[in-house]
Amino acid sequence: MSSRPDDRPRVPWFVAFLARRMVWALITTLIFVAILYVVLEVWVPYSWATVQSGGNLTSEAELREAVGLNRPLPIRYGEFLIGLARGDLGASFGGTPVTTLIGGAIPVTLTVFLVGTVLGWVSGELLGRIGSWNRSVASGSALSTLGIASAAIFPPFLVFVLVFTLREPLLASRDAIGLPQDSLELWRGVLTGQEGALLPSDVWWVVALSLSAAVVAALTARAVARRIGLRLIEVAALPAAVIGAALGIWLSGLGPHALDLMYRVDITVTTGRGSPIMALIGVALLTFGQVMLLMGAGMDAQRDEDYVLTGRAKGLADHVVRDRHVARNAIPPVLAGSFLTFPTVLAGMMIIEFELEMAGLSSVLFDAIESQDIPVIMGILVVLGLVGVAFRLVTDVAIATLDPRRRGVRA
Amino acid sequence: MTAAALARREVAAPQRSRAAVASNPKFVAGAAILLFFLVLTVAQPLLEATLWAGRMNVYHPQFGFDTGIAHPSAPSLDHWLGTSSLGRDVFSMLVYATRPTLVVAVSAASAIAAVSLVLGAVAAVREGWVDAVVTHVSDAMVLLPPLLAVYVLGIWRPSDAFGALHVGLSFGLLYGLGPATATVRTAAQAVTVRPFMDAARVAGGGDTWLVTRHVLPHLYAHAAVQAMIGATGAVIADAFLAYRSAIGENVGFGMMVYDGIVWSELMAGIAPIPWWIMLAGAGGITLLAAAFYLIGVGLREALDPRARSVLR
Repeated sequence: MSSRPDDRPRVPWFVAFLARRMVWALITTLIFVAILYVVLEVWVPYSWATVQSGGNLTSEAELREAVGLNRPLPIRYGEFLIGLARGDLGASFGGTPVTTLIGGAIPVTLTVFLVGTVLGWVSGELLGRIGSWNRSVASGSALSTLGIASAAIFPPFLVFVLVFTLREPLLASRDAIGLPQDSLELWRGVLTGQEGALLPSDVWWVVALSLSAAVVAALTARAVARRIGLRLIEVAALPAAVIGAALGIWLSGLGPHALDLMYRVDITVTTGRGSPIMALIGVALLTFGQVMLLMGAGMDAQRDEDYVLTGRAKGLADHVVRDRHVARNAIPPVLAGSFLTFPTVLAGMMIIEFELEMAGLSSVLFDAIESQDIPVIMGILVVLGLVGVAFRLVTDVAIATLDPRRRGVRA
Repeated sequence: MTAAALARREVAAPQRSRAAVASNPKFVAGAAILLFFLVLTVAQPLLEATLWAGRMNVYHPQFGFDTGIAHPSAPSLDHWLGTSSLGRDVFSMLVYATRPTLVVAVSAASAIAAVSLVLGAVAAVREGWVDAVVTHVSDAMVLLPPLLAVYVLGIWRPSDAFGALHVGLSFGLLYGLGPATATVRTAAQAVTVRPFMDAARVAGGGDTWLVTRHVLPHLYAHAAVQAMIGATGAVIADAFLAYRSAIGENVGFGMMVYDGIVWSELMAGIAPIPWWIMLAGAGGITLLAAAFYLIGVGLREALDPRARSVLR
């Protein structure tokens, strides 16, 4: 592109794009909260007063009057929104602030969601790309069956199968590695209020934050290396950073405890039947199937385009055509499509986490649902919605990075 | 080719694809599984009238109990899929649980198709604020997992107040407003920029004419795909509600899985795992869910040749 006639200061596309998407995110979040409020306050037949009065209609009416549940819906909604803006999600029917309940449980859920999604994406993209490209009917059928099974499987049954098959091998491999046996005492110290005890959430945060910091650093280094043409750094930055971070966590002494947490089959973060490793496998499987099928279809839609013929005529290697040209064009629709499977995957993840009895959001949410605790349900669904908004923003940025046409106003 | 001929060809496109649907292996596989379960629901009264006649104290899906053997018992000639921990005949339960599950799937699919067709078509034809509202609402609804919402709605309500039909319709409404409307609206936008739309408008067609005669015929396939994929989720959601006993149904696929899991944990190391009841429950859910998913994916491949994949 040569010189431009207009000499306005040019904002990098990234800034303008992100600003527009943030406005979208804000509007969507507001609409989402409004819909949620209507569903939970109008559609659900019980309230705090119903639960407290235990079915006594007279005292229920009095209680509604006393706590202001009789005021018009818009006013109560306004109060909820003001609280939300201040980061206050109200109190559960039992009196505990909802933010406290969520804060204690969200590290586990976020870790399972993030790591599981990344694992599922990487494996699904890879197998979808290769499985579709080599046109082998046998491997195609096998992958297809796996993908459809992952969409149709009943999550509690999946958990049962995972626990049934992986329990013994995991216990054996944990003994083989020789993980510290006292990490459980450290968690127990928390319960008894011991000084200097290690909180499970501390470990989750350290691992999650240091790994994501390493990935961000690696991606930055990679972008810089690409610009100045250092091929070695460009390729090696990401694996090096992840390995480095993992080594750092390990050497700090926290690593063995963290890995022990991941392995706990007998006694997990709470008490459960399974280990976090099983949860990661389960969530990864749900994501994997969706991404793999979308990616396979996307690759097939691109393979007959003219640019593929041009690439081959230039004498490019088959894997270069596949990975650098076709896959790059196939991925944006997969990213867009994977957002639409977000509710399905999220619900599956919550069930898996719950069935493995992990100390995540699902146990708080399902307990709240079964004890009809509306503020807690509302708070957790709002937080999950925010996770979804963040997920959408990440996919939007990824799409715009891969496809310059999507950086414009009508993204 | 004249503009009129071009327009006629484009309008005729949906009709030409019926043969492609019927020869799509995924669609055929899904339809075959569905047919199998339909036969099962019809078989219930037949079996009760013939093979199980006079023995309903043994084969009743809810109250049956075989006094001659210990429960749970493995599959045998008397009990084709064994018995549950409460002594119910598993095959009888499987047949009995199919009907409410089909009700859930069909009502969810209908709600999804209706909601997404109406909103998608209207948003695409009436641009401006109508489109903006539909787009934003569907974006927001994608953030609310219908399974969790139906779980909240169904908890503690008796089955006559929140049964299979309610589960299906509420799941369908929530899914339909979210991912289904988002997808169908995008497809509708692609239709509205086609030349035959301008031709119809120039010829004096009003909004109603445009929507019913020119936009909707191109959207049925997209709505059907979404309805089928949504029905997959509805089957799993209904099974999960039954698994958590969150709805009043007494016999359901989810409840059978629960029975098997609880029994095998209770009796770990003492008695063998009653795999037959778990497999019947989980198999029923997965096969039915997969049937709808296969039909949906098969439809998408058949109606949009670019979406066809060797991953089949």
